[in-house]
Amino acid sequence: MFRLPIDAESFPLGKGPMVMLILFLISTLFIFGRSEEQGEDIEFWIFANTHYEEYQARVPIFEAQNPGVNVQLINFGGTMHDKLLTAMLSNFGAPDLVEVEITSIGRFLKGAINEVGFVDLRPRLESEGWMDKLVVSRFTPWAYRGRIYGIPHDLHPVVLLYRDDLFKAAGVEMTEIETWDDFIAAGKKATRDLDGDGKIDQYAIVLDRRTESDYFSLLLQQGGGFFDEDGNVIIDSELAIETLEFFTALFNEHKIATPVYGTWHGDPSNFAAMQDGKILSILAPDWYVGILKSQVPQMSGKWKAIGMPAWHPDGRRTTTRGGTMIGITKQCENPDRAWELLKFTYFDRSGLVNRYETTRIIPPLKAAWNAPIFKEPDVYLGGQPLGELFIQLAPDLPPRYQNPYWSEAADLLNDAIFAAVTEKQTPREALTDLAEKVRNLMAKDMDRWGEM
Amino acid sequence: MDRKRRTNLLWNQQQKIAPYLFIAPFYLLFIIFMGYPLISSLVMSLYEMRGFQSRIFVGFGNFTDLFRDPIFWKSLKNTAYFAIGTLTLQLPIALLLAILLNSKFVKGKNFLRLAFFAPVLVAGVFVAIIFNLVYDQRAGLVNQEFILFGKEIGWLNEENYVMPAVILTGVWQWAGFNMIYFLAGLQGIRQELYEAAAVDGANWWQAFIHVTLPSLRPVIAFVVVVSMIGSLQLFDLPFILTNGGEPADAGSTIVMYLYKNGFQFMRLGYAATIGWVLFFIIAIISIVQLKLLGIFRDE
Repeated sequence: MFRLPIDAESFPLGKGPMVMLILFLISTLFIFGRSEEQGEDIEFWIFANTHYEEYQARVPIFEAQNPGVNVQLINFGGTMHDKLLTAMLSNFGAPDLVEVEITSIGRFLKGAINEVGFVDLRPRLESEGWMDKLVVSRFTPWAYRGRIYGIPHDLHPVVLLYRDDLFKAAGVEMTEIETWDDFIAAGKKATRDLDGDGKIDQYAIVLDRRTESDYFSLLLQQGGGFFDEDGNVIIDSELAIETLEFFTALFNEHKIATPVYGTWHGDPSNFAAMQDGKILSILAPDWYVGILKSQVPQMSGKWKAIGMPAWHPDGRRTTTRGGTMIGITKQCENPDRAWELLKFTYFDRSGLVNRYETTRIIPPLKAAWNAPIFKEPDVYLGGQPLGELFIQLAPDLPPRYQNPYWSEAADLLNDAIFAAVTEKQTPREALTDLAEKVRNLMAKDMDRWGEM
Repeated sequence: MDRKRRTNLLWNQQQKIAPYLFIAPFYLLFIIFMGYPLISSLVMSLYEMRGFQSRIFVGFGNFTDLFRDPIFWKSLKNTAYFAIGTLTLQLPIALLLAILLNSKFVKGKNFLRLAFFAPVLVAGVFVAIIFNLVYDQRAGLVNQEFILFGKEIGWLNEENYVMPAVILTGVWQWAGFNMIYFLAGLQGIRQELYEAAAVDGANWWQAFIHVTLPSLRPVIAFVVVVSMIGSLQLFDLPFILTNGGEPADAGSTIVMYLYKNGFQFMRLGYAATIGWVLFFIIAIISIVQLKLLGIFRDE
């Protein structure tokens, strides 16, 4: 019979340690003894499930076109940005390619220009002529101090999604709405107490007063913002104050808006209120329509969409909300290869058409817009071709200038909006205080570092 | 002769060194994974970072900034609110459950013990997601009851209700866990003490005050201190329940503010400062509690 050269009893300290040693040796062999796969690896980090699924399906095509290249897709979900930050901070372990969300990119831009962990893509974009092929205003969230750190995944134009049946029942034809004044007049007719118990049963619009999302969308629509192109704080401009006055008036003066039910527009509470007919309209980016379709399929056929009401006749009928970029990190060993994969996932027309099919996200590549799918009637919107509306609005998207202080600024902006809507401060006080806080923060850093 | 002496010498040396070698792995790991990060975070709290490489010495600048920071104070207030809620609501409920499960009159004790203990087995993130539905403004379990009185409370949407909602969720999650400690403590009390109290004519309440509570003192001290530390480190529950502490930072806690500064604002020095201030708060509160509960007293 085969016998081990040592038996368990004579092993120092007995069986337990021997088993542990064997497991240790096996796992070591497993970790270090793996035969190196031939070729080159590209590591690509993703945080959104829908993107991950799309790339999983398309990456094998890229690998087949580029023999010897292995793409490792890793989906870290919501914790990805923190992992990326740690990897860049320790200068070790960052992927070659990575997708970053629009509210998270600011923190990666802090510090001296050479410390930013992403490769400047402007030279490649310009030399290969990509700038003209994409919506240029969409580079602003990913650019800072003249460099472009990411390519936009999306445009995220916003439309006004509304309940045609309920507005019609209130005697309002929404397709005639052109300006916010028109909307307020219509909203007053449609915001109603249906059963006569003294309580409002349906509100013309649902708006988020907990966070910056809706207010900031309205501000961007008019060409405003928190920071200007040069990084100056402009949140206490007359435009920003008037917009917040308008926003609070929708709740407190005109009483046609209800605060979002639950914690955000995608909360089950909010969907329940929609199904109850409590909410007649919502400012919806393309991705939100995708969420509605998957979360509230039973409301199919009940919604219609128009461009957002403008601030003045012939004004801009859209804004932008949310977004993702793809960037190449400075830890990438072969940026040329990563750039090829980037182009394959972001600039390939057929891939972008597929993306629209599953996520309803309109691509920034103009060449993709003439695909027949964008003109197809949308069953969820009672046959209205929603893609066509989004594409019609897309060239007019406002810029959204990025800034390293965006995270701090947004956090404080949330508080300012809530204070104004709940009438703890006037919009002017709230935004003046806010601007002062952010300017102080920046001035302090300026004192310390001597440059922004 | 030389060889023999040398062997002896080696053997003696080895005897001296061996114990240190045996305990070395723990200390090495401790130094690498605890000691070094702790000291490095203390050093970091005296610096401010910007970007991935630049840092600048600011001395106690971060500490003075912190004490002037209204959001820090608000987070501290919210955290204290939760800690007091835990102390005054969660622990008495845990003790009550333990007493009920320890009494002779309750049937199905094993099942109830498991049922009360089970919530702690659920990860905090899932608890927050479940309670998001429970506090749902339109269709949530809680509001289904309150709507009957004509009030639809936005538990996670109105400043004054956010922390009560978090505290109640904490009760659901942790009361059963603390109950187990109390139960173990109750089972350790000698029956003779109750018999002696009965002989002296003590009723149930008197026996509880003069026998049960004093006998449970070490368990109470342990549970109070551990719950207090856990409360002061509260993070995941309100972070998910309130979607990052909103509205108006009503759900913000110290650790949440630390996380935001470190990871969202990239102010690592400031975040390290918050961490050290929290450490001192926890240390002081724990020592005071242990003193008050008489743990340092010689019996």
